Amino acid sequence: MFAEISIAAKGTAPLITRRQFTQAVSAVAVSSSASLWNRPASAEPSAIEAAEADAARQIAPTKDSTPFRLGIIGAGSRGQELIRSFLRVPGVSVAAAADVYEPRFAQLNRICGREVAAHKDYRALLDRKDLNAVIVATPLGLHGEHVTAALAGGHHVYGEKVMAYTIEQANGIVSAAAEHKRIYQIGHQYRYSPWIRAAVLRVQKGEIGDVTHIMGYWNRNNDWRRPVPGPLPDPSLEHLINWRLYHEWSLGLIAELGSHHMDIANWVFGEYPVAALASGSICRYHDGRETDDNVQAILSYSGGRRFIFTSITDNAKMGDQLWLYGTKGSLNLTLEDATFFYEPKKIARAPARAAKDEGVTTSASYNPANEMPYRGPGKPVDVSTAEDPTTAATRAFVYCVRTGTLPIADTKVGLGSALGVIQANESLRLRKEVAVPSQG
Amino acid sequence: MGTEFTIDLYARDETTAEDLANLAFDEIDRLEDLLSNYRPSSELSRISREAGNGPVTTDPETFRFLERSLFWSERSDGAFDITVGPLLKAWGLYQHGGRVPSEAELQALRDTIGWEKIRLDRQGRSVVFTTHHAMDLDPGSIGKGFAVESAEKLLREAGVSSALISAGGSTLYAIGTPPGESGWPVKVDDPRYPGVVAATVSLKNTSLSTGACTQKFFIKDGHRYCHIFNPQTMRPVEGVLQTTVISPSATDSDALSTVVFVLPPEASRRALRGLPGTEALIFLGPAAGPAPAGGCVAINWQGDPCSPKSPSQQKEPHP
Repeated sequence: MFAEISIAAKGTAPLITRRQFTQAVSAVAVSSSASLWNRPASAEPSAIEAAEADAARQIAPTKDSTPFRLGIIGAGSRGQELIRSFLRVPGVSVAAAADVYEPRFAQLNRICGREVAAHKDYRALLDRKDLNAVIVATPLGLHGEHVTAALAGGHHVYGEKVMAYTIEQANGIVSAAAEHKRIYQIGHQYRYSPWIRAAVLRVQKGEIGDVTHIMGYWNRNNDWRRPVPGPLPDPSLEHLINWRLYHEWSLGLIAELGSHHMDIANWVFGEYPVAALASGSICRYHDGRETDDNVQAILSYSGGRRFIFTSITDNAKMGDQLWLYGTKGSLNLTLEDATFFYEPKKIARAPARAAKDEGVTTSASYNPANEMPYRGPGKPVDVSTAEDPTTAATRAFVYCVRTGTLPIADTKVGLGSALGVIQANESLRLRKEVAVPSQG
Repeated sequence: MGTEFTIDLYARDETTAEDLANLAFDEIDRLEDLLSNYRPSSELSRISREAGNGPVTTDPETFRFLERSLFWSERSDGAFDITVGPLLKAWGLYQHGGRVPSEAELQALRDTIGWEKIRLDRQGRSVVFTTHHAMDLDPGSIGKGFAVESAEKLLREAGVSSALISAGGSTLYAIGTPPGESGWPVKVDDPRYPGVVAATVSLKNTSLSTGACTQKFFIKDGHRYCHIFNPQTMRPVEGVLQTTVISPSATDSDALSTVVFVLPPEASRRALRGLPGTEALIFLGPAAGPAPAGGCVAINWQGDPCSPKSPSQQKEPHP
């Protein structure tokens, strides 16, 4: 892919290469947070393989068609998409739904092909004794109340991201799941994407060296509005239908789009962020919305590592993609695929050990690209079962409830991205960098 | 689906119109994610991959798509068939190319295609292939219509009473009429005579789909090979220039434009018998129709679209 030429480099010690240096840093960083993760980047290969085998069991197609009855709180567009995915799991049916917006019930009935019991009050749904699990897909600002109540009511919960609107609420969910011994799976479905799992596994095995920076883009070219029904706009419905645009229930683009990327950053870096710095503005859509139509956020991790997220809503050129930058290469992750790119090999052979004050001769390669961006093809990650991540995630949740297995995207995963989202929004509000409080 | 969708709609103001159009485009994107055979992550691809290993449970919407596909396969005696994916690949049409496979190559594909190898279980909402192997389901002859119909239902539910949804111009659905008009005017070209319009249809609460070899084809050794296949012969259909079908359902008009493309005209008449609001117009090439220009067959079509016309003698819209 890259043209390589050899040059001779001469110099003196130090005999620590940049790669070794960054390895040393990340080893310290990861060990300090290893307890948070069942599979940190520095884990032994056998531990990595064991964790991957566990994930594969959760995601695997199933023939088990034991009846599995779901309730859903919040049957809007995302809730409906979750229902479609859950109905691809053998044995699953939707028994009941709760929503404050009446038209959702008819929409849900059409999706399910049958009448689903409707509750205007979510507490009535949680009082039911015939449910195997509950989906919570309400606006973010309501997650804390709904998820905690569901867990306390003895229900296993599939909760849409972000976990909660405040850190206190997120911690409340973590505690409730532990206290009531219920399964909570966060809707970070990319943890279940076959191509992302395969690619991250290779990153964890060192394929692109030490990952120091991750950049996430999620750009669109639309106003993020949903039409409010009726011949004339109904102000009371505006906040309900377009809740993402208002602070009451929404943490904006950082939450609705960036949280997925933040989760992958947490996964790859093997820890929670330590600080957040964010900015944003309403640049394009001056339509009464409160949340920004463009945001930029930086999460800091130990060892100086960074995750940078940007989202704009009036140009979709970059789409939704993540770039992982490592010392030996890069990884591009998208909704459909994963592709590796490799850095030119600067050091082709290990330097010969030199005596003190003697020169060191080594061999290196150099790519004379004049710092032009590489525009050639990469090396795609080949997976044979590249199914929809949400389909895989919902199937895995049913498996976990049926077997009592801890989900891949558990409370720790949910808490991690929630911390990033909540503190990035706090930074955005305060216009200064804020610390991410350490957990436990 | 690899098609550009366009939507014309009337709403209370421009912002609302844009939001409604975006809502429909999001729905079309969702259907693309669900049914594309170019995306390994689609639900249809998952079924193609896994249903040879045993029953695959799917969601009601995908199941309904498969049921309707098999309905048209059965009704057309296999002229319509979503299992033709391997044929498109063998003939090089999957990636917009074109090649003529050997007879041996085609015969080797015989066991990989055939709608009757798909078994649906409504009770368990599952799909299984009797081949015990992966199959290659291709939504190309019905997916656009299915997406248009989904967008239509969504827009109606959102209160839209006047819109025209188009999938690449080949499948259209008209919701209501433009204000003050009797319908959305749609011209059907006569492919035998460049520049001549065979009929101008006024669409209202119905759909129109066209299948043609004039846009998707390849030429090899001076012969034009169409992208529409006869599953029985495993070869591109010969002798048909264009078919147009009107049906209350965009899913059905899309499927039927292939049905009447593949079936001989008399068999097409039988396939359409008893279908309310369904009309078809078939233009045949010189090889199959009366010389020199080829034939025209109208089935339940209102008016007289087959009579020879010059560009200045266009037909008035029928109500």
